Amino acid sequence: MPPAADTTRRRIAFGGVLLLVAALPFWVRNPYQLHIASLIGVYWVLIGGLNLVAGYAGAISVGHVGLLSVGAYAFAILAGPHGWHPALAVLAAGALGGLCGLLIGLPSLRLPGFYFAMSTLACSLIIGELALAKQNLTGGGVGLAVPGFAAPFRSARGLYWLVLLLAGAVTWFTWNVTRRMWGRALIAVRDSVIAAQATGVPILRVKLTVFVFSGVTAGVAGALFGSLQSYITPDTFVFEMGLFFFVCIIIGGRGSIIGPLIGTAVLTALPELSAPLARLSNFLYGVLLLVVVLIAPEGIGRLLETSIARIRGQRPTSLPVDPDLRRLAAAIRSGHSP
Amino acid sequence: MLTVLVSGLASGALLAAAALVYNVMFSTSKVLGVTTGQTAMLGGVFGAWFMTRLHFPVIGALLGSVIVGAVFGLLTDLIAVRRVLSRSDEHLWLLSTLALATITQQAVALWWGTEPLPFPRIIHQDFGAGLLDQKYWLPVVTALALAAALELFYRRTLYGKLFLAMSEDAFAARARGIPTDRIRALSYVIVGAMGGLAGFMAGQLTFAYFAVGITLSLNGFIALAVGGLGSNAGALVGGAALGILSAGASYFIGGEYQNTIAVGVLMLVLLVKPAGLFGAQVARPV
Repeated sequence: MPPAADTTRRRIAFGGVLLLVAALPFWVRNPYQLHIASLIGVYWVLIGGLNLVAGYAGAISVGHVGLLSVGAYAFAILAGPHGWHPALAVLAAGALGGLCGLLIGLPSLRLPGFYFAMSTLACSLIIGELALAKQNLTGGGVGLAVPGFAAPFRSARGLYWLVLLLAGAVTWFTWNVTRRMWGRALIAVRDSVIAAQATGVPILRVKLTVFVFSGVTAGVAGALFGSLQSYITPDTFVFEMGLFFFVCIIIGGRGSIIGPLIGTAVLTALPELSAPLARLSNFLYGVLLLVVVLIAPEGIGRLLETSIARIRGQRPTSLPVDPDLRRLAAAIRSGHSP
Repeated sequence: MLTVLVSGLASGALLAAAALVYNVMFSTSKVLGVTTGQTAMLGGVFGAWFMTRLHFPVIGALLGSVIVGAVFGLLTDLIAVRRVLSRSDEHLWLLSTLALATITQQAVALWWGTEPLPFPRIIHQDFGAGLLDQKYWLPVVTALALAAALELFYRRTLYGKLFLAMSEDAFAARARGIPTDRIRALSYVIVGAMGGLAGFMAGQLTFAYFAVGITLSLNGFIALAVGGLGSNAGALVGGAALGILSAGASYFIGGEYQNTIAVGVLMLVLLVKPAGLFGAQVARPV
């Protein structure tokens, strides 16, 4: 098949899927399914940003639930008692999430893997603790009612389309980032810090930038999440939720966008299928994570890709490195690049 | 004031025990398993189960807890560490132990329930003993005994020397004919037994509660990072310091800020002295 036809077919399929997803409020059977679809979108706003940190840069952050709760509380407080316009409050929630990301990332991203994971875990616990302690601000253990959005996005359908819009924006942004130099730098950092450092990748700056970006998306996701759930307490943002975000990425596959997207959709929808599954959900996330790490560390998406290629009879192609040795030697001898 | 000191020392001793567990684990496999806190949690929960439900005598319950911990340690090695170490991705062991820790915690929550249940008395003692109560001095004695036993083990026994050889250079140790896989499995059995014992002895402090594990993993690690990775003396000092600081903070400022204080201490120490108080300095590769 010529590549042009392939691209056209891919575009048609992509447009069809997009249309189907955008028209979801018209073909779901009940409002609860619409709620689940919105929830998937909200989670994806966060996970899309986290994917750059965890999936591409390889920094294991299990504490993004803390940033989510920062965004949710900021939105609830600013749009509720302070009477800000919801659009402004979302921006403020995103900015605050980014600021918290900067404050957390600046010291902890310098640390090696396990130290970093533990710092993010600790930060999520601290934020939960503060949310419980600052009663006059957050309502303590009782919680806080979260206001809805302004007119066109007030209804469940409107909120769904807003979520879809933001999720699409995050996806588009991360897709652009990962295809270009930045994405290569992130993958280099993940695969070998030493090699990346030796080739001149500014490790801390690269990691910190994507971490702050993931903080912004987490803050925005928090605002959407609060508005969707309409009531938040510190018990909403448990540690297991941070683990859930992370598991979605690992199961989908690191270094891919479509894999974690499918992972998010499946893992969010799965516990809603039946009551016993919901009770066991955290246990199942643990089992899934263990199975994926042991059997397919590349993620299920990559596993599917290779098995489809095998069924179709395609041999894995190798890309031999074939440097022009004579030219290279001449360049070294003359002391500067050709 | 004395109450703060004593209770802080007691909870700090449990953190020190967790830090010692991390040290042994790290020496043979260069892995810092998130399952560390779960071994102590299992010790506490199974200790309470043996004594209150099965009516074991104290010695039997103690042995049972240690055996449960040891079996869990062995399972950790077999499931989460052995296969992962053969691959050369440095983050995978973190994910696999995190997964195993989550599975364990959720399984205990489903089986035991999510309420903290009281842990029975280990030694017959009146409840009016105040600061001399067993729940304060039992963890401290346990942590000190564990550290002393480890020191003896490393210095006086052949297996201890094998552990040291593996921590120095696992490849060289393997080249000299040391069965590194078997030694690592043994180290995880020891790790599990230590955690089970510490969890059993501190059971009256933590209660038999399924969620103890994850905070213990975190705070034990903070104690270790403050004291210096790889140093047993550092583990004891770091644990005691962190325990007293947390107790003091919750006494003077309020109980809501315990984690905040602990992490503040960690960040401060890592900024000033990245290797910890007693740790060895490591050169940067680039």
